[in-house]
Amino acid sequence: MSAAPIAPADLRGARWRLRLRNARGFARRYASRRDGLVGAAILLAFAVLAIAPDLFVGPLQTVTTATGGPLEPPSAAHLLGTDESGRDMLNLTLHGARISMVIGLLATLITIVLGAVIGIVSGYVGGRWDQVLMRVTDFFLVLPTFVLAIVLAPIILDIVGTDAELLGIRATLLVIVVVIGLTSWASTARIIRSQTLSVKERMFVDRARVIGGGPAHIMRRHILPNVVNLIVANTVLTFAGAIFTETTLSFIGLGDPFAPSWGQLLNAAQEAGAPGLGAWWYIAPPAFCVVVVIVAFTLVGNALDDVLNPKAGLRR
Amino acid sequence: MSGRYLARQSAQAIFTIVMIVLLNFLLFRMMPGSPDRVNPRNPNVTVEQREAAKARWGLDKPLVPDQLVAFVVATAQGDLGYSMKYQGQPVVEVIGDRFWPTILLIGLAELIAIFVGLTLGAWTGWRRGGLVDRVGNGLSLILYSMPYFVIGMPLIIIFAAGLGWFPTSGMLTAGATYSGPLDFLGDLLAHLALPLATISLGLIGGYSILMRSSITETRNEDYIATARAKGLPDGKILRSHAIPNALLPAVTLIAINLGYVVGGAITAEIVFNWPGLGTLTVDALNSRDYPVLQGIFLFLGVSVVLANFVADIVYGYLDPRVRR
Repeated sequence: MSAAPIAPADLRGARWRLRLRNARGFARRYASRRDGLVGAAILLAFAVLAIAPDLFVGPLQTVTTATGGPLEPPSAAHLLGTDESGRDMLNLTLHGARISMVIGLLATLITIVLGAVIGIVSGYVGGRWDQVLMRVTDFFLVLPTFVLAIVLAPIILDIVGTDAELLGIRATLLVIVVVIGLTSWASTARIIRSQTLSVKERMFVDRARVIGGGPAHIMRRHILPNVVNLIVANTVLTFAGAIFTETTLSFIGLGDPFAPSWGQLLNAAQEAGAPGLGAWWYIAPPAFCVVVVIVAFTLVGNALDDVLNPKAGLRR
Repeated sequence: MSGRYLARQSAQAIFTIVMIVLLNFLLFRMMPGSPDRVNPRNPNVTVEQREAAKARWGLDKPLVPDQLVAFVVATAQGDLGYSMKYQGQPVVEVIGDRFWPTILLIGLAELIAIFVGLTLGAWTGWRRGGLVDRVGNGLSLILYSMPYFVIGMPLIIIFAAGLGWFPTSGMLTAGATYSGPLDFLGDLLAHLALPLATISLGLIGGYSILMRSSITETRNEDYIATARAKGLPDGKILRSHAIPNALLPAVTLIAINLGYVVGGAITAEIVFNWPGLGTLTVDALNSRDYPVLQGIFLFLGVSVVLANFVADIVYGYLDPRVRR
C-alpha cells in the first residue's frame, strides 16, 4: 500500500463512483416495487399536464370565453360536459392540475424546509434549544391544525388584501401555501430530529468536531446528507397531504375563483348545486383527479420510505 | 401508576391549553375585526357600545399585561364575546346550539368506522400479501385519500338526486310536524344516513391501515409463534392472541385523533348542510365572524388536548412500558 496522499481529483472521482453505485442500487430496489412504479407513472402523467395544459386544451376558459351552454352533460364537443357558466370541464380540470400541483409543491417546500431545519437544529444543538423547539413542535402536533388553518387564512388575507401578488401568483393562493406550510411542519421536524439524534452520536461527527468544524458546518455537511433519505421520503408524503389540505381549504371557500384548483372547482360545483341536480360530470373529473394524485403520491412515498429508510428492512 | 407520569402529562396538557389561549389572544388582536378597529367603521355600533367594548377589553390600556389579563379572565369565565353575525348572541350560545348535531353525527360515524375499520385492518394484516390484503388495503388507501366531500357528493348524486332514497340536505324536514316520536326519529334517520355513511367511509380507510400495521407487528411476536407451535387453529390465534394485543395501540391512536375528526368532518357537514359546528365554521368564515371562529378554535383545541390527555393516561395505565 502506498502512503502517498490521495490527489483531490481521485477523491472526487471516487466520490462520484460511489454516488453512481448508490443511485444504481436505489433504482434497482425501487424498480422491484410495483406500487411505487405505478404511482410514479401517474405522477409523471399529471406533471406533464400541469406543465403545459395549454397544449392539450388551449388557454383557461373564463366566463367570457366559455364555449358551451350552462351545465351541459358530456358530448362530442365537450367530452366532460360544462359548468354552470358554460366552461368546458376538460379545460378546467387540466388547468386545475397545474394550480393544485403548484400550490401543493410550494406548500411542501415550506413544510419540509421548516421541518428539516427545526428538526436538525433541535436534534444537533440539544439542551435548552431542543426543549423549546420540541415544546413548540408538540403544540403544533396536538393542535387541530386544519382548524388553525381555517382561522389563520382569512386573517392573513384581510391583512395583506386579495390584490397583492408575488411572482404572478395571487395573494389568495399564496396565503393558502403559507398557511399549509405553517401548520404541517411539526411531524417532519419530529422525524428528522430523531434521526439527527442517532447520526450525531456517530464517529465521523466527533472527528469533524475535533478538527474544528463549527455547528453550522457539521449540520450542513455531515448531518444533512445523512438525514436526506428521510427528507425525500417525507417530502413525497407531505406533498400528498398538502394537496389534500389545499383541496379542502379551497372547497370551503378559501380558494381563488380566478385560478381554479380542483378543490375550487368542487367548491363551485357545490355552490351551483351540482350534487342535487345530478350533474355528475361537474364533480367527477376534479374529484377523480384529486383522489388519483393523492393515492399516487402515497404509493410513491411509501415505496421510497421502504427503500430509503434504513430501518425498513427490520420492519417486515 | 406513577405520580411522575401523571404530573408530566398534566403539565404538558396545561402548557398546551395556555398556548392555545395565548394564540387566541394574539390572533384576536391581529385581525382586522379586532374590537378597536372594526367598531368605528360600523354604523350600527353606537358610541356607547364602543365605549363599553373599550372598557370591557381594556383597550385604552397597554396590550400586556392589562388587555391580556382581561382576555384571559373573560375566557376562563366562559365569556368568549359576542357573535358579529348573529346580532349580539354570545359565542358560547352560538356554539352550544351547533354542538349536539355534530356530536350525534361524528359519534355514530366513529362507532361504525372503528368496528368496520379495525375488522378490515385485522383481516388484511393477518393475510398480508394475499388477495384479501391487496384488495382490502387498496380500498383503504383510496378511502384514506378521499376528502369527506369527495365521498359525500357522489353519494348525493346516486342516492338522493338519482334514486331519491334520501333527502339531500339538513337534519330534519323544514316545517314538518310530527305525529309522534317514531315519526320524528324516522325523519332524522333519513337525513342522517348519507352524512353518516360519508364520515364512516372516510374514517374506515385510516383505521384499517392503522390496524393492519399493528397486526403485522404482533404477527412476528414470540407468543404468536408459541400459539402456532401449540397447534392452535389460525382463526383462534388471530382472535385470542393477535387482535387483543394489536388493539391497544390502534385504539389509543384513534382516541388521540378523535379531536381532529371534528375539524376534518367540516366539509361533510357542508355537503349535506348539516346544522353542526362545521357549517357554523364556514358560515363564520364567509361572514368574517371572527369571535365565533376564535370560539370554535378554542373549543376544538381544548377538546383535542383533553382527549389526548385522557388517551395518554389510559394508555400509560394499560401499558406500563410507556411510562418511562
